[in-house]
Amino acid sequence: MAETSYPQIRIVPARFLTPDTAEVLLNEILSKTGIRRIVINGPRVPETVPYGPARGTPNVIAQRREIEVQGETIKLQVQVGTILMELEDETPIPEIRKACEAVLTNFPFTLQEGRFMRSSMTMTDYAKYGIVEDERILGMVDPKSKTRPIILQGNR
Amino acid sequence: MAYKPQYGPGTSKVAENRRKQMNRDIKLEKIRDVTDEDVVLILGHRAPGQAYPTAHPPLAEQGEPDCPIRKIVAPTEGAKAGDRVRYIQFADSMLNAPSQPYQRTYTEMYRYRGIDPGTLSGRQIVECRERDLEQISKDLINTNLFDPARVGIRGATVHGHSLRLAEDGMMFDMLQRCILDKDGIVKYVKDQIGTPIDKKVAVGKPMDEKWLGENTTIFHVLGGNPYRNDAEYIEYIQRIHSLRTKYGYMPKE
Repeated sequence: MAETSYPQIRIVPARFLTPDTAEVLLNEILSKTGIRRIVINGPRVPETVPYGPARGTPNVIAQRREIEVQGETIKLQVQVGTILMELEDETPIPEIRKACEAVLTNFPFTLQEGRFMRSSMTMTDYAKYGIVEDERILGMVDPKSKTRPIILQGNR
Repeated sequence: MAYKPQYGPGTSKVAENRRKQMNRDIKLEKIRDVTDEDVVLILGHRAPGQAYPTAHPPLAEQGEPDCPIRKIVAPTEGAKAGDRVRYIQFADSMLNAPSQPYQRTYTEMYRYRGIDPGTLSGRQIVECRERDLEQISKDLINTNLFDPARVGIRGATVHGHSLRLAEDGMMFDMLQRCILDKDGIVKYVKDQIGTPIDKKVAVGKPMDEKWLGENTTIFHVLGGNPYRNDAEYIEYIQRIHSLRTKYGYMPKE
């Protein structure tokens, strides 16, 4: 579960990122030290057509691909629109801002500090998920999801 | 004195554009040239060259009952031939797309016969007889009601009208039915329901920001046309709101 003492930031670019840009940006950001958790957010790009007469057929999209971040392969399931991060402390924020400025040159972005991930379970969470054993994923993803979080070894 | 429709209030550019689209005395500006075959491919209702499947025999063969209304109203070509009813659906980005769902419905109702539009917040569907539909769709795609990047032809999974644009300026589409190709031309690679099509159907280059700003029909602060700047429009809406609130659906003052 998120400790309230850990600072969180949110990066919102003015445009949705292509996997190429997302890959470069994430590599830049994650080369900094002091990042505890990170969520890549955006509208979902499903593998099969979810509705309509073509429901169930493969959704072949040129832009969706696996990205390589810090040596780990991440299968993007969204078009990257927002990046949420929890940090050890506030020291890497200026470096992260610089990394964003270096990569996101064609359009503006905002970098906000605040609370963006859930810090405790709500009543609805208990109703939906029951007791969640690994509380680190609270506020990040659906705890019942079969895909597990990717653990990056970091550089400390 | 003959009735002359006013189409809508407002002194702003947006209001003027709305009136221009609705007024059938003003010809829609032709911008691109998508062929009949391309339209059929995007619609995905029949294969190009295939005969129109029918829902009933042609009117001339089936014999019409004696009805005064049928004598007044001439059937459209599609109705005459007994075509099936088929649809086209558009999703218009809120970021200065040239038309918007309600606007589309008004425009089509003024300009075309034998149609059944359905209006939702982020998409607008129009249904009619198949061969009429192909003509109407061609009009809607080839004229200034369409922008390849900010208007999507989407039969299902339409989500994207209120989202940010992608890096290349395209509206989000989880099925990516159309792509901005390397030559700068938007091409449809899937039909409107998301089934891949055999060839890429080019629908032209995205319009530039200036054109979109000049031709938009949406009030949007981010698009540079805030609603509050059009005092006449606000006065009109407030009056309607007040009459409705005070008198329900019987607006007498």
